[in-house]
Amino acid sequence: MRLLSAPFEPGALAPPRGPVLVYPQVAGAFALLVAAGLGWEWAGVVPRELGHALASGAVHAGLLALGWLLATDAAEGWSGPVVRLGTTLILAAVAARLHPMGALAFLLVPGLLLLEGRRQPRLRAIGLAGAHPVHALAGLAVGAFLGAHLLVTASRTFGYRLHVGGLPAYLSALAYDVGANALSAEWLFRGAVFSLLWRRWTFWPAALVTTGLSLGRYLLDPALPHTAEARAGAVFYLGLVGLIACALRAWSGSLLPGYLAALAFFAAYRMLAP
Amino acid sequence: MIALSVALLGAVALAMGLADQGPASVLRHLYLLPTLWAALTRGAIGGGLVGALAGLLHAPVALPAVERAGLTSQTLDGLLSLGLPVVAGLLVGRLVDGSRARAARLAAVLAIQRCLDGPEALEAKLVAVARELRVALGARRLALLVGPNVRTALLASVPVGTLVDPDSAAAFALATGQRVSSADLAADPRLRADEPVDVTPVRALALPLVSGAGVVGVMAVEWRGELSRAARAAAEELALHIGLAVENARLTLRQHHFAEELAEKVSAATARLRELDQAKTEFLSVVSHELRTPLTALQGFSELLLRSALPPERAQRCLVYLHTEACTLGRIVGELLDLSRIEAGRPLELKPELVDLAALIERNIEIFAAEHHGHHFRWTASGPDVALRADPDALDRMLKNLLTNAVKYSPRGGQVCVSACPAEDQPGMIELAVEDDGVGIPADQLPRIFDKYVRVPHPETAAARGLGLGLSLVKALAEAHGGRVEVDSLPGKGSRFRLLLPGADRDF
Repeated sequence: MRLLSAPFEPGALAPPRGPVLVYPQVAGAFALLVAAGLGWEWAGVVPRELGHALASGAVHAGLLALGWLLATDAAEGWSGPVVRLGTTLILAAVAARLHPMGALAFLLVPGLLLLEGRRQPRLRAIGLAGAHPVHALAGLAVGAFLGAHLLVTASRTFGYRLHVGGLPAYLSALAYDVGANALSAEWLFRGAVFSLLWRRWTFWPAALVTTGLSLGRYLLDPALPHTAEARAGAVFYLGLVGLIACALRAWSGSLLPGYLAALAFFAAYRMLAP
Repeated sequence: MIALSVALLGAVALAMGLADQGPASVLRHLYLLPTLWAALTRGAIGGGLVGALAGLLHAPVALPAVERAGLTSQTLDGLLSLGLPVVAGLLVGRLVDGSRARAARLAAVLAIQRCLDGPEALEAKLVAVARELRVALGARRLALLVGPNVRTALLASVPVGTLVDPDSAAAFALATGQRVSSADLAADPRLRADEPVDVTPVRALALPLVSGAGVVGVMAVEWRGELSRAARAAAEELALHIGLAVENARLTLRQHHFAEELAEKVSAATARLRELDQAKTEFLSVVSHELRTPLTALQGFSELLLRSALPPERAQRCLVYLHTEACTLGRIVGELLDLSRIEAGRPLELKPELVDLAALIERNIEIFAAEHHGHHFRWTASGPDVALRADPDALDRMLKNLLTNAVKYSPRGGQVCVSACPAEDQPGMIELAVEDDGVGIPADQLPRIFDKYVRVPHPETAAARGLGLGLSLVKALAEAHGGRVEVDSLPGKGSRFRLLLPGADRDF
């Protein structure tokens, strides 16, 4: 019992968190990539989709990189995994733009993350570990329920319809969620940020701040429809998904149940068409 | 329980869908039933979850109506029904949680009180208290450190097996009376613990246990995961209670020990009184016997002299017997008078004068040798220095008593050695020693042999007569002379009595 066995220094302060300048440097580097991609798309250089893909891939790669830095305190050796993950994600985004089946490249990202994460024991502390089947099933069930609820409510309230738009496109969107959208959000927000805050605060403040940050990320996403009902729906459902993912992370000690909940929810969301 | 509530919610949603009466359907109130049921059985978390689920199930009915008809009274009612279950579930659940927490705290206090009752050692009680507390607080680990400082404090930890560092947070709380709180032990910079950070934070509190006497200990608690405000408040409240309860238990134990000691002393005193009573009874019996023997002789011989005309030689012999028995009677009466003086606290009347110790010893040895043929008497003097100032009669009685004892307790005969010399270890004192090779005295009886009426039982000396006063008189007379008497004895080997009296150059 550490309160009895560990030496205690009442006035000791926390050691400084790694090299602080690394965070803006990495964020700036990925922001430059995003700007380059958007500039490419805006300039109309052929093929324009590649510019969009670069920007989209760089956003998610930046989120993964920030998550990695926060979780490891920017410990030595961070650059290799961050570069490899970022490159894979951007290449997957480019591949998805070039060919509908190219999106399958997104499926490489979670595997690569697991592979890289296995070499860094600190990442276990943010929940990079397997989950009990009951926890995983609970995550899937909650995500599926919220997704189904979204479908029913949106269709009954606003007349949205269920529209898959072809299996390849649907699978491509799902692959994007698996390797980029849901993965980067869970990794950064429920993994790094929530774990960090929960160690300092109690559950509710940590979960509300984390969910607020993740909502901000979704509301800034240009892919989100700009209508008021879509934004209100996003705040409601993504807020719920975020809070539930935090609760699942706290309950299970793993990111997997929250990740599965998000995937199940987005799997339903991708079926919705105005 | 939650599954039942969820099933009931599903049933209500299905019924609303089938009835298709819009958002203000009377059936919407049924959502409150499973919500309240969940709140009552599972508290705020259960009530809030089921209430939120009820709101979500009602949304596909309420929201389209708002979209179609705008904000009418019916649609507003429907919108209120979205939030009402979750609010009701949370409120009722919170009340339930609060009352449960209070009941649990009360139960914990009673359990702690039960644990601290009884005569067992405090350490054993503390283990039971720690076990109760850990369950009551839902903690992962709990330890109680009770004592004025960490080195001597009693430790009770659940689970068992932890070491106490003198510089630990618990030791700090014990020394300063300040609480230590940690949001995550592994990430706390104040704790130098080289352990990896866990996936779930470990919250911890070290709370001083305070009583009227100050800080009497520390309660250290660890929780894995969330530490609610209620749990923290409960821990603080219970720490206060334990501080007082531990102090009470200590006082009770001290009182118990004191009562036991008192009972032992009373019992010993009662036994001693009984012994004294028994001794007095025996004393009376012996005194009667001792007095009757010479009296009978006096009576017999005097009657013989009065009634018969005896020849002069025989009359002379009778007169000698009469004189001897009268002396015996006089000695017994003298001892009784001395005893009476000692018991009354009056000083013995002594007439000190220069005594020729050698002559006194030689005379007594001759008398005893004449009376006890089975014993061999030997005496050694160290020279003309052996002279002292004493009451010759008292000195004579002391020596006679010691010699009588030596003879009485060496029933098979043997050697009785008398010596007199200046005491080597006591300058200015004269040592008069009487040594026998008789039955000896057991070590546990030695402290009692100078007490009144005490006779050390031994199978070989059971027939010996005596009042049990001889040694107590020797002691009283020696002390009256400013000296003392000592004894060395080994059972089966014999005894050596050493009478230490002031020399001729010292007054008493």
